[in-house]
Amino acid sequence: MATLTSQQANELANYFLAMAEAVGDYRYQNFDSLSAQENKEIKDSLEFIRKCANELFTLSATLVLDDAQNSLSAIKEVTNQMKSTYKTLQDVQKAINMAASIVTLGKAILGKNPQQIADATGKLADCWNATKK
Amino acid sequence: MPNLLLALQPQNKNIMIRLFLKIILPLFLLAGGLQSCVNLKYVNNFASSSLKSVKNFEEIGYSFKQNCLENCQQKKINDMTLNSQDCDCKANEKADSVTLLIYNAVKGYLDGLTSISGNNLTNYKMDILTRSLSEGDLKSIKIEKNHVEAYSGISNILLKAFTNKYRKNKIKVYIKAANEPFKILINFLDFNLSANLTGKLNVQKQEIKDYYFDLIKDNTLSTFEKRKAVEEYYQRSDNINARQKTLTTYSKELEKIAGGHQKLVDNIQKLNKDDIKEQLTQYASDIQDLVSEFNKITK
Repeated sequence: MATLTSQQANELANYFLAMAEAVGDYRYQNFDSLSAQENKEIKDSLEFIRKCANELFTLSATLVLDDAQNSLSAIKEVTNQMKSTYKTLQDVQKAINMAASIVTLGKAILGKNPQQIADATGKLADCWNATKK
Repeated sequence: MPNLLLALQPQNKNIMIRLFLKIILPLFLLAGGLQSCVNLKYVNNFASSSLKSVKNFEEIGYSFKQNCLENCQQKKINDMTLNSQDCDCKANEKADSVTLLIYNAVKGYLDGLTSISGNNLTNYKMDILTRSLSEGDLKSIKIEKNHVEAYSGISNILLKAFTNKYRKNKIKVYIKAANEPFKILINFLDFNLSANLTGKLNVQKQEIKDYYFDLIKDNTLSTFEKRKAVEEYYQRSDNINARQKTLTTYSKELEKIAGGHQKLVDNIQKLNKDDIKEQLTQYASDIQDLVSEFNKITK
């Protein structure tokens, strides 16, 4: 059995809505000539028709997921690739910072200054940790 | 240029080489870098306007579940029951979660496009490297500060030109690959809000009209009570109309975004042309206008 698409469910909902409107208008226009029982029966029918319309609109909204599944996967794939590119471009800054830290450490070693070596090693470690983020 | 250099004296040749390295080359590279920035600026303007606009979803302030709860409450009023049992809105909660899923996918993509087309992404800070190269006393190695700054400047321009070209190429690939699914998802987001949620509001409109019609026809009520009922009907009817207007405006925003994205894809190879810049600026401006219109309605 063929399954209903979101578009078809929405069209059906609109048919029910139009039917409810027509029946409702009939009740407004003929209210004085209808018996209490007839009026109640029409009201009950209206309630049912509108319930159908309401549920079909909701069903249509949920069926969208089936129809949109491929597009969701495709856009997710592109978004992930963009995130990766963004990270690559950000990593350039991290590489610059890392190079600066290595230069500072090298200079401290060449200068044979223990305090500067300790400081530069600490900064290099911070930079290294930042690249992992 | 080489013939000209041969004709020059050695000292003049050195001056020319320095001039070339310090002024002409950076100017060329700077021009290239700026060109890349300008092209992406229009993409970024469009993407950031679209992102801001799509985020208005969070300001709609109405959902399938809320509609279900209101209908449930109206039924209790009709039946004059004080039943405190919860209304069954599971199906509507699912409709909300589907809509939210699509919204998040669209927002995520625009967020990514805004981020990678932003100029600040490739504004690398070279000063830290410049400082570490020029500061400190190495005794045996002497690096002049002005040389470090000059080479660091050139490196920065080169790096910027390279990374801008890199991301421009990437963006071309991404927006082409994303165009069809993006339009489909925008369409479904719009469909759920302006066709399905609006449809449910139309049902609600009919229901409240029925309810107040019966009150007016009720002979046990006084004229004053009937007038109060009419007043209440118009208030509730206006509320529904305002909600529908919010959804319609949001729908126009989505339509504009999808159109702008298509325009971007159609013209991705000629982003330098003035007409496409103008068109993208126009799309960004139209989207901004719709955002303002949306904000006016929701405030």
